[in-house]
Amino acid sequence: MRLFKQIAILLTIFLTILLLTILTLNFQNASKSVAERLYEDAKNTATSLSLSLGTANGNISVMSIMIDANFDSGHYGYISLVDVDDELIHIIKKTTNTHDVPQWFIDAIDIKAPIASANVSAGWSPIGILNVQSDVSYAYIQLYTILKSLFVSFTILAIIGLIVLNSIMMIILKPLEKVHFQAEAAVRNEFIIEDTNIFTTEFRDVVIGMNTMVLKAKTMFDKGNEEFKKYKELEYTDEVTKLKNRKYFMNKLPEYLKTDASSLGGINIVIEITGLIDANEAIGRDSVDKLLFNIASILSEHSSQYKHSIVTKMNAAEFFILIPDFTYEDGLVLVDSISTLIGDSIEDYELDASKVYSSIGISEYSYKDRVGVLLARTDSALTHSKYLKNNKYLEKVENKSEVMNNDKWKNIINNALQENAFSLTLWNVLNTKNKKIIYNSISFTLNVDSKTIYSFGQFMLPANQLSLSNNIYKNILNMLFKTPDKRLTSTTCSLKLSYDYLMLDDTYKEMKNLFTLYASDLPFKLIIELPDKLVRKNSKQIKQYKALFENYKINIGIGEFIGESSDYQYLQDLRPIYIKADKDFFINQDEKALSSLRLMTEAGGISLIATGVNNVKIVNQLSKKDIYIIQGEATDMIKF
Amino acid sequence: MGIIKVIILLSVLSKSLVSSSSNKPYVEDVLLDRITKKYKQYAKIRFIKLQDTLDKTKRISELRKLKMVNDFYNKVRYTSDKKIYRVSDYWATPYEFLGKDKGDCEDYVISKYFALEYLGIDSKKLFFTYVKSSKFKETHMVLTYFKTPRAEPLILDNINSKIFLASKRKDLIPIYNFNPKSLKKSHKKVHKKWDILYYNFKIGKI
Repeated sequence: MRLFKQIAILLTIFLTILLLTILTLNFQNASKSVAERLYEDAKNTATSLSLSLGTANGNISVMSIMIDANFDSGHYGYISLVDVDDELIHIIKKTTNTHDVPQWFIDAIDIKAPIASANVSAGWSPIGILNVQSDVSYAYIQLYTILKSLFVSFTILAIIGLIVLNSIMMIILKPLEKVHFQAEAAVRNEFIIEDTNIFTTEFRDVVIGMNTMVLKAKTMFDKGNEEFKKYKELEYTDEVTKLKNRKYFMNKLPEYLKTDASSLGGINIVIEITGLIDANEAIGRDSVDKLLFNIASILSEHSSQYKHSIVTKMNAAEFFILIPDFTYEDGLVLVDSISTLIGDSIEDYELDASKVYSSIGISEYSYKDRVGVLLARTDSALTHSKYLKNNKYLEKVENKSEVMNNDKWKNIINNALQENAFSLTLWNVLNTKNKKIIYNSISFTLNVDSKTIYSFGQFMLPANQLSLSNNIYKNILNMLFKTPDKRLTSTTCSLKLSYDYLMLDDTYKEMKNLFTLYASDLPFKLIIELPDKLVRKNSKQIKQYKALFENYKINIGIGEFIGESSDYQYLQDLRPIYIKADKDFFINQDEKALSSLRLMTEAGGISLIATGVNNVKIVNQLSKKDIYIIQGEATDMIKF
Repeated sequence: MGIIKVIILLSVLSKSLVSSSSNKPYVEDVLLDRITKKYKQYAKIRFIKLQDTLDKTKRISELRKLKMVNDFYNKVRYTSDKKIYRVSDYWATPYEFLGKDKGDCEDYVISKYFALEYLGIDSKKLFFTYVKSSKFKETHMVLTYFKTPRAEPLILDNINSKIFLASKRKDLIPIYNFNPKSLKKSHKKVHKKWDILYYNFKIGKI
């Protein structure tokens, strides 16, 4: 319960008790005062009437009339006159009339009208004693009216009091809202600095303390960001051509060589410039560097037209252009253009074309290839190209053709979409340090029948080719939210969504509708994993997704991280709970780069997860790099 | 010897029959010490004389008791409340009255009332009577004694030191009679002035 509410309840109880006590005391005083008044009135009447009766010289009938007249003029219960022998001379009384007062009040309040007496004398001789009692019903009416007035005034007082208290508390506790807001932000790893212009000393000290802590964490993050940026720039960029280098290519390649890659394959063009040593001697190193920069520009210009293509400088004289979904025939046209332009560039520097020239090999690649195979095939294409001296050679991928054709896949996937034939499978995300499963990664299988089951990797690739993957993601999300699997109850699970699906125009709207209806009833904690290449753009779309996920308390994870951003501020803005990268990314990382990444992620409360960890050897390699959270087949090999 | 023993026994018996409070002095020693401390030695002597007077009157008739008490207190000097207490009207306790050795008409009445009550006279027979003095043209108070409820009262006054029947006191016009004991049964409060006085008397205000 919030402090404001607690204090408000406490003060309300206190105020109510206080007002009720005052009301009770007031009413008791009023009751006492009314009772005393009853006596005083009776006493005054008794005294004055006894003096009057003295003038009657003991004439009983005159005295009786005087008593009756007095009785009629005021509020009396009775008036009696007894003689010196205690014999009753005269009495007049009336019945109690309390019609205007509720019975509960009469039952609750016991009012006794006291009897006041006075001696009555005629000359020197006493006649008797006059007894007067005030009318108790009149007292009840008076008291009941007082009680009603007290209730009204105390209710008004209570309302005013509560309003004033509430306002004062809101002013006093306003800084606490800041502290609360900042504390919540700190839990979310948000770096918020609050204004310290606070009246209450204790709150000001807390805010100053929190600001200092937040500032420290922010400084750590910024330092990590700066260092990681610097290391990555040095690590991934070729100094002469400003192209990405071999390391980048090696880290980036797994994105293309995976079962759920967005492309089945394409071509990798290798360009080697021969005779650079001669060129150095002929025109000098600076000019050669400029020549290489020009060549890099030619390659970049050509590749930029193709989606998901990458250009890298692999070594001093070798360049790669990897273009997914590209055929050899298309490649030939591209290579011709590149070859001509490189030739022209060499000529511009008046170099001997027989000594300085380019050799170009074209090799196909498939998503099934291993990195080593792709490189070997590329190497072979270059060797053949050089040997044949025609500067072009195609190294084909063997067994490229799929077991099933696209039409068959189309039928299977469409049927599965119609019949919701996707089944959930869970992969452990394990902390090898304490051997605890921290998340489950959600994956799906496509079940044609009890015997034919396709894994996610198997069916997603053709689905990508057939443009059906987005429908599959939509189907999976609906299934997860509308009919969540019982195995997920009370767990934390991550669901990976693809770049293309998230970039679709309708995805955000559909997700929002789905979340509005079902997210609050989700029996498990969901992490939605977004690809790094999408989130690092920090676009308006990403901000929309972030706001949507935050609204429904869905965490964000980042997948396919290779640290190729020019700035990592987006990690602070997005506040993911983890970053997933291929095991090789961590293993091949420079220690300094990795420690700066760790500095940044620790400051931001982000876990680092290595994927594709399939054996214990890799687990040990990762442990040496202080990477303990893993995903892959090795999670089943760790002994608990 | 037998006759002497009978006389002593009768004397003891008669002493115990006079009053239940006869063994208790009218002014107890502790109170007397306080009075002495405040009003000095002469006051003490006055109270000893009072006690002597009261002791002497224990076994005599009511009328004699009235006379002795009336005579004793009428020796006190009359002084207005304004001069003594700096208030227009104050009902002094018998201790204040005799301690200061001065007082006004109510103070005489009060002191006589308590002394007679001490002597065993039924307080129902004693009335505080507000009267108008035709001689002095002012209000006055006297103590009236009714032998029976319907009898003609005797007037114990400080102006006229002798006790007379009411009918003999043509200079006094009765206005209002007041007997605290007859009213006591109706309510704990009887009469404002009386209530304060009675409280002061009980706590031994001097």
